[in-house]
Amino acid sequence: MADQLYLENIDEFVTDQNKIVTYKWLSYTLGVHVNQAKQMLYDYVERKRKENSGAQLHVTYLVSGSLIQNGHSCHKVAVVREDKLEAVKSKLAVTASIHVYSIQKAMLKDSGPLFNTDYDILKSNLQNCSKFSAIQCAAAVPRAAAESSSSEKFEQSNLQVSSETPANNELTTNGHSLPTSKQIFQQPKGIMGMFASKAASKTQDVNKETKTETKEVTNVSTGNKAPGKGNVMSNFFGKAAMNKLKVNLDSEQAVKEEKIVEQPPVSVTEPNLAAPTGLKKSSKKAEPVKMQQKEKKRGKRVELSDDETKETENMKKKRRRIKLPESDSSEDEVIPDSPGDYEAESPSPPPPPSPPPEPLPNNEPEPPSVKSSSGEKRKRKRVLKSKTFVDEEGCIVTEKVYESESCTDSEDELKMKTSSVHRPSTMTVKKEPKEERKGPKKGTAALGKANRQVSITGFFQRK
Amino acid sequence: MFSEQAAQRAHTLLSPPSASNATFARVPVSTYTNSSQPFRLGERSFSRQYAHIYATRLLQMRPFLVSRAEQHWGDGVQVKKLCELQPGEKCCVVGTLFKAMPLQPSILREISEEHNLLPQPPRSKYIHPDDELILEDELQRIKLEGSIDASKLVTGTVLAVLGSARDSGKFLVEDHCFAELAPQKPAPPLDTDRFVLLVSGLGLGGGGGESLLGTQLLVDVVTGQLGDEGEQCSAAHVSRVILAGNLLSYNTQSRDSINKAKYLTKKTQAASVEAVKMLDEILLQLSASVPVDVMPGEFDPTNYTLPQQPLHPCMFPLATAYSTLQLVTNPYQATIDGVRFLGTSGQNVSDIFRYSSMEDHLEILEWTLRVRHISPTAPDTLGCYPFYKTDPFIFPECPHVYFCGNTPKFGSKIFLGPEEQRVLLVAVPDFSTTQTACLVNLRSLACQPISFSGFGAEDEDLGGLGLGP
Repeated sequence: MADQLYLENIDEFVTDQNKIVTYKWLSYTLGVHVNQAKQMLYDYVERKRKENSGAQLHVTYLVSGSLIQNGHSCHKVAVVREDKLEAVKSKLAVTASIHVYSIQKAMLKDSGPLFNTDYDILKSNLQNCSKFSAIQCAAAVPRAAAESSSSEKFEQSNLQVSSETPANNELTTNGHSLPTSKQIFQQPKGIMGMFASKAASKTQDVNKETKTETKEVTNVSTGNKAPGKGNVMSNFFGKAAMNKLKVNLDSEQAVKEEKIVEQPPVSVTEPNLAAPTGLKKSSKKAEPVKMQQKEKKRGKRVELSDDETKETENMKKKRRRIKLPESDSSEDEVIPDSPGDYEAESPSPPPPPSPPPEPLPNNEPEPPSVKSSSGEKRKRKRVLKSKTFVDEEGCIVTEKVYESESCTDSEDELKMKTSSVHRPSTMTVKKEPKEERKGPKKGTAALGKANRQVSITGFFQRK
Repeated sequence: MFSEQAAQRAHTLLSPPSASNATFARVPVSTYTNSSQPFRLGERSFSRQYAHIYATRLLQMRPFLVSRAEQHWGDGVQVKKLCELQPGEKCCVVGTLFKAMPLQPSILREISEEHNLLPQPPRSKYIHPDDELILEDELQRIKLEGSIDASKLVTGTVLAVLGSARDSGKFLVEDHCFAELAPQKPAPPLDTDRFVLLVSGLGLGGGGGESLLGTQLLVDVVTGQLGDEGEQCSAAHVSRVILAGNLLSYNTQSRDSINKAKYLTKKTQAASVEAVKMLDEILLQLSASVPVDVMPGEFDPTNYTLPQQPLHPCMFPLATAYSTLQLVTNPYQATIDGVRFLGTSGQNVSDIFRYSSMEDHLEILEWTLRVRHISPTAPDTLGCYPFYKTDPFIFPECPHVYFCGNTPKFGSKIFLGPEEQRVLLVAVPDFSTTQTACLVNLRSLACQPISFSGFGAEDEDLGGLGLGP
């Protein structure tokens, strides 16, 4: 019977598993009202003691009531051991409530473990912490997810320049976000499809990100997707990368509006490619579109290596439109979490050596981290950066490369600057075809570095 | 009172499970208006001098003081400016007080090489028998002597003194008066008991485990998990919780990381990060059940100068999902169910404590009410934004409940003003040390402390519970 069931449960918890069973823990575990949990505990204690008076049970009680102290009537709430219960009760002028707080097998020296038990069970039930409580508040309604994501936009909007709709509006008005939430529904799925390994954990973030994107639909349509996607991608990277990415994306939005037109086709293609392992494939598909865009692009190109995961591709796309602002150069050399992230992210082995049409340059985990060493002007400078990625053989490769917006043929040379030892020569073969593809795409890229050999393997490119 | 009301229902929990368990609905918010707008700063510019705030303070307070002076000393009293003083003539002067204290830390003296002084160690009180009072008005200043107690007064107080100027150039004071209480609108009567819980000094991140259990018990009482049905029913009448500052502990400030070499502190996380996460969880539990107002305090991550701006919602990703969470300024004023609340996190009171001989925080609180200024020592010894148009710390009207947080012990008093104003003064104690919070009953304007305790190995004789003989 249901009645006996809880008794057995408590018995099991206390005697077999040697747990400290507090009323709160029992309430969450069995899914009952807190008062019922307290009554269950009491019932258990009574029965157990009746059956077996030598039972190894220690009980703590909660006593509350009022007491005259220093001229005030002070309300006291105390957790006491059973042996002190009567003493405490006698001191109180008015006893408001007494109930069982916890049952455990061993005698507790202090109330620390009680707190730990409660804290642990609470942590695992944070979202519905008032579900079994005796007080329900009608006003405590979680804000709609779209609204709450507007608080995430806080950070972004602080960085962002001007032209976007004031994020404050989003906080106060419920109206806009809800209808647009349907639009973005496909996008998260599409994006999630690409990040199969991380889909589950990043869903919420993605939803939030894409929601923030659609908020700015009126102003900067796909430019908004950039931060969304960028942020999704930035989830894969460390915090340092996140900041840079944001700065990057923000400046990007401030600068380019025409790119919006180009973006949608690309971004749309991405959601459509919902293949789980389709990271590389989708990048391939996006390729042709990107090629066209690249022709139109007047700005920087960033090359992604074919080993790069999709995010970096997307990030690269965005970076292309950016006139990267100066940011702290101290982060160039440091890539906090990217090695680990990259490992986790590459869901499948790198694409076959046949040159995948990936005009994507070597991946930079932190696109925005392309910092110029000088000043505030958005020049296309080359900055030394460390890039870590998994190459086709599954080796993690770190190389210091000079990154530049104005990608040219010589860029590949530059990228090979200080490659790591295990870099097989086949890689360079791959690089060449990539390089060739990149060639036509580079529109107005400066070719200043055309003949410079930046790394020891640079001359491999020049076949 | 809370306890009596709670005890009215029968005890049901020491019995086998019953079929149904009562659930109580939280009392709905009937009226709430946040009137802290004067304390919100928009664009901040620090290029102004602080003299302007004193000028506007005197300008705003002068009419109140003149009318008080006439009430005290008769209509015929002459109110003069310092420049109009004639020696030997008895008159009344209104001005701002300046207390010259030799022990007051002065940065100029410290860095002056000719004195070769070592920096002064912090003291609990900086008063000295040699402190002198100087009265300043718009144009001049004059030294005060006579029946005026320098130890009780602090710099920045605006008052009216009655006396006469001596030939020596000093002013001999016979009597003085303050602006006293501002006019008060009566609070509309309430039909049911409603409570507001005032807590301050949660002190998270401080490393003390004992206070964590107390904090958890507090949250459980307010959210209705703890206690019998009677207590839960009473707790459902708590219509608001105000956290009055110092949510983080002093230990989270990590001040020495500024002095350490960067390579030592590069990958270390600030202590406040963990503490803020814990705070977020606590706020989530609270705001899922009751409207909460969070005021920043001295050790919280917001600006240092008064008025402190609200904490940023990005620090509380879990809790800001609920609209019941409100992040407010310090000082904070609001009208809750028709009762005007005004309070600070305690920096103003503790600063006056350091520079005057008053010992009891509740007494200081009362004194600030009588001076009609929340924080007269700002900007002299307490950081303050350089206002120039108005001084927002002057009481425009008298509140019904005036509180300050982070006091060493609980104190509460009803103060009656000259025009039948009735103010409940509450000194909210520091929770991390006292495990005590305050329950204010809005209907009767009474305050009851509520304290929490666990048990420890050393509490053999109930001493820790405060229930000893």
